[in-house]
Amino acid sequence: MISKEAVRELEHALGAEFVSCEPAVMDGYAYQPTHAEILGLETKWCPYRPVAVVLPHTTEEVQAVVRICNAHKLQFKALSTGWGIWNAPGSDNVVQIDLRRMDKLTIDTKNMIAVMEPYVSGAQIQAEGMKSGLNVHMVGCGCHASPLASATSLMGPGCSGITTGYSPRNVLGVEWVLPDGEILRLGVPGQGNDEWFYGDGPGPSLRGIMRGTLGACGGLGVFTKCALKLFPWPGPAQPKVEGVLMDAKVEIPGTHSSFLCFLPNLSRFADAFYKISNAEIGYFMGKHAITGALLAGCMPRAYKNLVKSETVRSILTALQNTFVIILCGRTQREYDYQHKVLKQIIADCEGFMLNIGHVPLLHSMLWWGFIRNSLPPAIFRAGGRFTTAFGGFETIDQAVFQSKIGAVIKQELIDSGDMMDDLADNSWGGLYEGSSCLAHQEELAIFDPREPKQNEGVNKYIDKAMEASTKYTITPGIGFGGGGAVPHMLGPLIYNYHHWLLQIKETLDPGNSADPSFFIAPEAEKEKYLRDYARRRPQVARLVEDILAADKKRSDVP
Amino acid sequence: MALQDYTNDMFGCSRCSLCKWIPQNQVKSWRFAKGCPSMDRYHFHAYSGSGRMIMGMSMLDGRSELGDAVAEIIYKCQLCGACQVACMAVRDDIDLGDVLLEERARCVEEGFLLPEHMEFIESMKREDNTLGMRKADRGNWAKGLDIPDINLERVEVLFHAGCRYSYDEDLMETVRNAVALLKKGGVKAGIAGRDEACCGGRAYETGYQGEMKKYADDMAGRVKASGAAMLVTPCADCYYTFKYLYPKNGISLDVEVLHITELADRLIRAGTIKPKRAVPMKVTYHDPCHLGRRGEAYRGGWSGENKLDRPIRFKQSGEKGVFEPPRNIIRSIPGIEFVEMERIREWSYCCGAGGGVLEAFPEFAGWTARERMEEVASTGAEALVTACPWCVRVFQDTIRETGSSLKVIDVTELLMRSLGGK
Repeated sequence: MISKEAVRELEHALGAEFVSCEPAVMDGYAYQPTHAEILGLETKWCPYRPVAVVLPHTTEEVQAVVRICNAHKLQFKALSTGWGIWNAPGSDNVVQIDLRRMDKLTIDTKNMIAVMEPYVSGAQIQAEGMKSGLNVHMVGCGCHASPLASATSLMGPGCSGITTGYSPRNVLGVEWVLPDGEILRLGVPGQGNDEWFYGDGPGPSLRGIMRGTLGACGGLGVFTKCALKLFPWPGPAQPKVEGVLMDAKVEIPGTHSSFLCFLPNLSRFADAFYKISNAEIGYFMGKHAITGALLAGCMPRAYKNLVKSETVRSILTALQNTFVIILCGRTQREYDYQHKVLKQIIADCEGFMLNIGHVPLLHSMLWWGFIRNSLPPAIFRAGGRFTTAFGGFETIDQAVFQSKIGAVIKQELIDSGDMMDDLADNSWGGLYEGSSCLAHQEELAIFDPREPKQNEGVNKYIDKAMEASTKYTITPGIGFGGGGAVPHMLGPLIYNYHHWLLQIKETLDPGNSADPSFFIAPEAEKEKYLRDYARRRPQVARLVEDILAADKKRSDVP
Repeated sequence: MALQDYTNDMFGCSRCSLCKWIPQNQVKSWRFAKGCPSMDRYHFHAYSGSGRMIMGMSMLDGRSELGDAVAEIIYKCQLCGACQVACMAVRDDIDLGDVLLEERARCVEEGFLLPEHMEFIESMKREDNTLGMRKADRGNWAKGLDIPDINLERVEVLFHAGCRYSYDEDLMETVRNAVALLKKGGVKAGIAGRDEACCGGRAYETGYQGEMKKYADDMAGRVKASGAAMLVTPCADCYYTFKYLYPKNGISLDVEVLHITELADRLIRAGTIKPKRAVPMKVTYHDPCHLGRRGEAYRGGWSGENKLDRPIRFKQSGEKGVFEPPRNIIRSIPGIEFVEMERIREWSYCCGAGGGVLEAFPEFAGWTARERMEEVASTGAEALVTACPWCVRVFQDTIRETGSSLKVIDVTELLMRSLGGK
């Protein structure tokens, strides 16, 4: 519940037009079905509806909202473009801060920096950046998502990572409204403002405190501005594009081409990734299970029929270890060099490759679909929704290992008729930071939430993926689902990282006013979060009881 | 169909929010990347296509109630269809536009009516037009034009002017130009004069779905009696009603339906009319929603249960609307410098007038028109050419209010300038 006094104060701070307590309006924020299944939540309505929704326009207004929340013992949760369960309120006491009205963007061409507010999309930054020969790292979920959110608060991999890093590593500065309402500015704004100085601040990494690996998902305050590194774009200032997605026709530069590379097995697949990473070729590169998400997204009805044929299945299965790479040369010579190196690598790894450039319409759709990153949501076409598991930032071998485990788990569920048949291996992921050999592979699963059996199957998949993760101590990825309880369970398996998160949370937010539900439950709420989680995912009940018993034992020690 | 019949469509929404933007492939700048006027003006998620579907689910699930505040949100939408185009770029199983129509029908069923809408519904019932004018005056626009009356003789082509063109004095010259154009092209067209009636589309869009039926029957009867093999209209709203709403509701006119720009384009391409006079002007073209993406002929009729299995040919994704004919006309005129805006074709931005917004929320209509006019200004065009009387109306009103020097010209009028007038 929110008091009338608190509502009046919010209206006074923002204007009545930008505050709503209307149930139907607030339900727009209580419906966050994407990846709710990972937390064992219903895939329709979230457990909680916000007590109010507010639309600030400036950092000072955000600050005012945060202070009002603190004064009235309310929690707050901010969202930008707002896709995914982690945007949802985590208690019945949350004011949802929709940052949609904060959408300014500045490009500092000389210093290759974009300074953005939360409601600026990847496509907007890319469109403006390309005019000056620059590009931004595109988040895997699609170009309509907020790079600020990805860089400050979430995980942020995308398949242009081979040349554009990944979101968390590209943050050069932030403007951050802390949980008590103070404004903290870190790093460079890229606008010649002397108040902010350089990328990571002095001393130990402030980025680590600010966001860690997975981001705090709003659990440490509100990021109102962010400076992101931009990267060279060796293509046209404004590609000529017809069509909206699958029907795209694009003028592709002669020194660009896209290749589908097929490897005989996952081992050789990983070898090719290492070699490409070390060779520093390619502009875009990622595994897009050609036989799974990509094919199902591009031709969903035909796909469903094709996989019914044993012959076709065997062909598709043989082609599963596939990745797409786009080579972009500034000159013909550069392109020729990259092409030559790629051919050699694929040959060395006993694979073969197809130049998609020989199929102009398909190339149009894929080239711009990947560069613009407009293709990912096409996965909806096959089932309506998808889930994900695994996907920590890891060495290439470990990333590939994760996708392999995911495929094995899925195959069992497909065989038992519990999941939609996507030939099991449906992972996506790329290489990050050029020659660092850093990778990630998420194992996706397509499902239709309107089919109860498929909902059950997806839940089984997540259960088994969690079990495998704890068994093999796989690094946290988006497939771990975040969630306030999860770090308490996984922490002991992974260098006790939850102790660090707890200290950061309790130092920056002693009053727990920033909704912690997708970051880490503070010590005082730990038991409640863990028991809630165990209720939704009974297979972890034993683990939860062990953790709580250990806590009790420790607290009993005088 | 009722709102509950779209439960699966609504629950299909993943809340990705693509519906708030133009299709991502077409984003060319920071400034003109967004596609939904309602969202751009009011910001809460409930104003987006996704948010409207969530509201529908919320009501059906008993989590919230339809009340005045919710009805106002439902009606603060031009039904421009931009959300559906963006959604359908990645989805096959959600008929977003139909959900929006059914939410309005529910408002009417439950008595949440807007006075401004009731006013034009009353006008339709009383005088067969949406503008509160006398039925007896409907044919006045054609005075002095030597055009056959279908009540007196059979014709090859029935020309349907529509309510706005019939009564809006500022626009009468355009519709008279259209008739002159037909004559120049040797088209044997006739009109119904004072017996012409509203198409009923605006009633359907504002939730009074039943009201459209009698106008549709009336229209079908008039077409049949005229002996025409073709129905031509200069009104984008009427065109959408004939091409989409009637067939969707099982009403067939059994004739070819063309917008005046389609016919003019045919005449130019056949060499029947030749734009010769130069019109030295830099122009851009605004795609009316009802002629463009929503002017796409009804592609429904699929009767399966799971829309994931629905063949693509049934998908109302907007790309088969009327886009090229008006552009062909503009390009055919000597001296014209034609420049495109960023948001065009099926990802065009709305003018603000549709869906009953002009009548009920004129401030919002004007706000939307101003947003579009800023995009026009970014091209450097001195004139905005369009092909819908409602678009022209709201742009002209906004120009008057803002003191803008922008000119708004109907494509038919532009063509007539090049053809040498009447």
